[in-house]
Amino acid sequence: MENITFRIRRYDGTNTWVQEYRLPYEKGKTILWALTKIKDEIDPTLNFTSACRHAICGSCGVKVNGHAFLACKTSLDKLLETFDTSVLYFEPLGNYDVVRDLVVDWKPKMEKMKKIKPWLLPSREGSIEEGFRQSKQQFAKISSSTDCILCGICASECGQLAINDGGYLEPFIINKAYRFAVDSRDNAPEEHIRPVLENELWKCIHCMQCVSKCPKEIPLTDEIAYLRKETMKMGEVHNQGARHAYAFYHDVKKWGRLNEMTLPIKTDGMVTTLRKRIPFAYRMIVKGKINPLRLPKAVKGIKGVRKIYQQVEEESKS
Amino acid sequence: MLKYDVIVVGAGGAGMMAALYASKDKNLRVACLSKIFPTRSHTGAAQGGINAAMGYRDATDSPEKHFRDTVKGSDFLADQDAVEFFTANMPAIISELDYYGVPFSRDPNGRIAQRPFGGASSPRTCYSADKTGHVILHALYEQCLKNNVEFLDEWFLLSLVVADETFHGLVAMNIKTGEIHPFLAKAVVIATGGFGRIYWNRTTNAINMTGDGTAACFNAGIPLKDPEFVQFHPTGLASTGILLSEACRGEGGYLINREGERFMKRYAPEKMELAPRDLVSRSIEMEIKAGRGFGQGLEAYVLMDLRHLGKEKIMERLPQVRELAMDFEGVDLIDEPVPIRPSCHYMMGGIHVSDYTTLATPVEGIHAAGECACVSIHGANRLGGNSVADVVLFGKYAGIGARESARKRPFGLETLVIKEAKKWESKFATMRNKTSGIRLVDIRNKMAEVMWNYVGIFRHEQEMRVALETIDQLLNDYEHAYIGDPALRYNTAFVHYVEIGNLLTLAKAVVLGAINRKESRGSHARADYPQRDDENFLKHTLIYKRGDRYELKYLPVKITKYPPEERKY
Ligand SMILES: Cc1cc2nc3c(=O)[nH]c(=O)nc-3n(C[C@H](O)[C@H](O)[C@H](O)COP(=O)(O)OP(=O)(O)OC[C@H]3O[C@@H](n4cnc5c(N)ncnc54)[C@H](O)[C@@H]3O)c2cc1C
Ligand code: SF4
Ligand code: SF4
Ligand code: FES
Repeated sequence: MENITFRIRRYDGTNTWVQEYRLPYEKGKTILWALTKIKDEIDPTLNFTSACRHAICGSCGVKVNGHAFLACKTSLDKLLETFDTSVLYFEPLGNYDVVRDLVVDWKPKMEKMKKIKPWLLPSREGSIEEGFRQSKQQFAKISSSTDCILCGICASECGQLAINDGGYLEPFIINKAYRFAVDSRDNAPEEHIRPVLENELWKCIHCMQCVSKCPKEIPLTDEIAYLRKETMKMGEVHNQGARHAYAFYHDVKKWGRLNEMTLPIKTDGMVTTLRKRIPFAYRMIVKGKINPLRLPKAVKGIKGVRKIYQQVEEESKS
Repeated sequence: MLKYDVIVVGAGGAGMMAALYASKDKNLRVACLSKIFPTRSHTGAAQGGINAAMGYRDATDSPEKHFRDTVKGSDFLADQDAVEFFTANMPAIISELDYYGVPFSRDPNGRIAQRPFGGASSPRTCYSADKTGHVILHALYEQCLKNNVEFLDEWFLLSLVVADETFHGLVAMNIKTGEIHPFLAKAVVIATGGFGRIYWNRTTNAINMTGDGTAACFNAGIPLKDPEFVQFHPTGLASTGILLSEACRGEGGYLINREGERFMKRYAPEKMELAPRDLVSRSIEMEIKAGRGFGQGLEAYVLMDLRHLGKEKIMERLPQVRELAMDFEGVDLIDEPVPIRPSCHYMMGGIHVSDYTTLATPVEGIHAAGECACVSIHGANRLGGNSVADVVLFGKYAGIGARESARKRPFGLETLVIKEAKKWESKFATMRNKTSGIRLVDIRNKMAEVMWNYVGIFRHEQEMRVALETIDQLLNDYEHAYIGDPALRYNTAFVHYVEIGNLLTLAKAVVLGAINRKESRGSHARADYPQRDDENFLKHTLIYKRGDRYELKYLPVKITKYPPEERKY
């Protein structure tokens, strides 16, 4: 390959257009290298953000061929190979307001984040003069969640956010709530957890995009599972989410997979579904998140799945 | 008109700590203004840790020992009263950070873990795995959110308004909209970080470390202190300057030249690669100058070879380093040596601070803290782990100092601030309308090249004179620069233009300071004056800017306890 073609979605506050740039191929370069080279040598009007250049500041998230990446850390070679093409299409992160070109606005996200009280509510065991004691095991619990660099990639990729009308929290906000909820130094985990519940915690559709794209490999869906469990312990079993979990249980037992078509009906009841969920499902279909024509069949090995159910049920009886 | 009692410029460790402390007085209106979103600030890049004599790991450690180590590390150029204040107050700051939720790594007793670091006589560096700066930055941001600090994200400080040595306000651009605003304030804290970007790509610093606040203070009449002291880290990745931790050499990495030779035997036959940072940096450059490096000019490099450690050890001890080399240099350390070259790392000098308890500058109402400021506790050479410490501790006292200033000072004159804003508005308009001129990128690259070649790790009068001439020429070219973007909204080309102007302004001060310091001390190594000269140079450089003229003065070093002696390790 001699050249790489970069098709970049531009935006100036009013107009949107796609602009094409071409750079000679060089081995071992990153997305950020390409953007910087284009700005320095071809077009100074192109805008994007970057700072540290080594995957710690979180400023350089960008979408390439429909998927979000950290520009400074992602090699062009890998992209060219993955997409098997020499044409790369750049867009700003999804689920953000765009300021200009590839630059997105973080302010609204931070306003939203305040809901979960993203700060330590210190327990009485510590003091500003002496700090805290915390065991290595307790530290281990917060170690991975405090790796988050707020790059926004999880939010860009999130299946629920793509169709949600603003109620669902960005995965990194959920991560922040989790981070304080499990910190041994925090006095009031519920104050971080409850707002997550109240903001549609149960709507995560388990698409796993957040986990698979997070450059820091933060296990976001495990955290979501933990938070759900905690809310149930907090006595929130009759809410929509818990019913959802129940429906989930039955679907998997029956089909060995989730039936995204009937899940809302079981969760919300028929009337509510028709009133509220059909537009939602419609948006999901339009965005290509579900295929209404594909009816679930029982997966191969469903017998095994059912056996597991049986065993768990028996075990929990005894 | 935007009006705040206290404005903090910069949202790194120093800025957010200052904002937090200023905002503890609920009667004051406090804003924290940053050209990038707060958690993107460079403090987040610090990996190794933060020094404080907690005595958890080594009960014999004490603030006094920390004091002594820091003074010795500074090659006796630090002000000892300030260092003593610093080291005495650090343990309390660590507990405070713990209370703010910083996830520190722990020892078996549940106390904060500590590790050994260069130049420290006891293991006193507190850390959080290898992401210490990152977690401190995020925790401070969280505390500021909790305290309702008003953040002005992606606002760019253009200049400070000072008349008759009195602070009136400042001018800043809202990058998102392109609007330029005058601000009235009773007090300001400048916390805008370092300016390693005078060497452009040959630095470990983030792309935006351009010394804007330092230049604004300098232009407003506040002197720069000791700008000639620039720290170089030996092992930056060759193509980007990104830092590869000192742990590589600690674990036994070899440095080799084009002839495949372990060249450190020529310079430090006993310590080899484990010689101190400045010595290793100098050795690498000597090899390159002697033509035994790979590549040419700014692109030249030597290799660091870790292959003999074996896959297992590399995976166990240096997994992050391996990942950095893979992601950013395309090299797997297990199979191949990695190209490295020294990289500018830290600015010991900066805005002259005249009172280390309030971080006041000579202009009443203006305070400064963090890497942009020079208190001075680092003198001619900073110890690893002392900067993040500096940043949070002096950030705190700057916040308190600014709070006091704001309580006793009235607002300044609106007319002055508006006039300054108008000046910037017309400059912005002119630059947007310009369609031809000298390319900014060319000015920038030329600056980096001449600074690296002539005012880098080795310095010599004749070469530095060439650098000075070139920088003067570039300052001239800058008047004819064009930016190539006519837009108002998010015009990073214009932002970059202002940044390059600031870098040029500061680069000139670095050269002047270096030419006039005819001795070798700490990071400042002169081929023509290889010895430290206490008789003539045990003093701080102060450079003033009067219009286009730079004036040099000197200031005695405060020595309270430790008289200068030869620095041996
Ligand atoms: C790779 C690396 C590793 C390091 N590791 C360590 C370590 O382990 N231990 C240690 O002690 N030190 C370390 N250091 C040094 C230390 O991290 C820095 O010196 C320190 O973090 C600087 O903090 P600061 O608050 O002064 O500035 P920064 O964190 O750099 O923040 C500067 C702020 O100013 C703002 N700003 C700048 N210009 C403008 C403007 N014109 N308008 C508005 N806002 C502006 C920026 O947006 C930013 O918010 C390391 C440095 C590097 C480069
Ligand atoms: S798994 Fe849930 S949180 Fe993660 S991206 Fe999918 S919907 Fe969003
Ligand atoms: S959770 Fe991961 S993907 Fe999401 S913002 Fe944090 S680091 Fe980025
Ligand atoms: S530039 Fe900092 S994460 Fe990419």
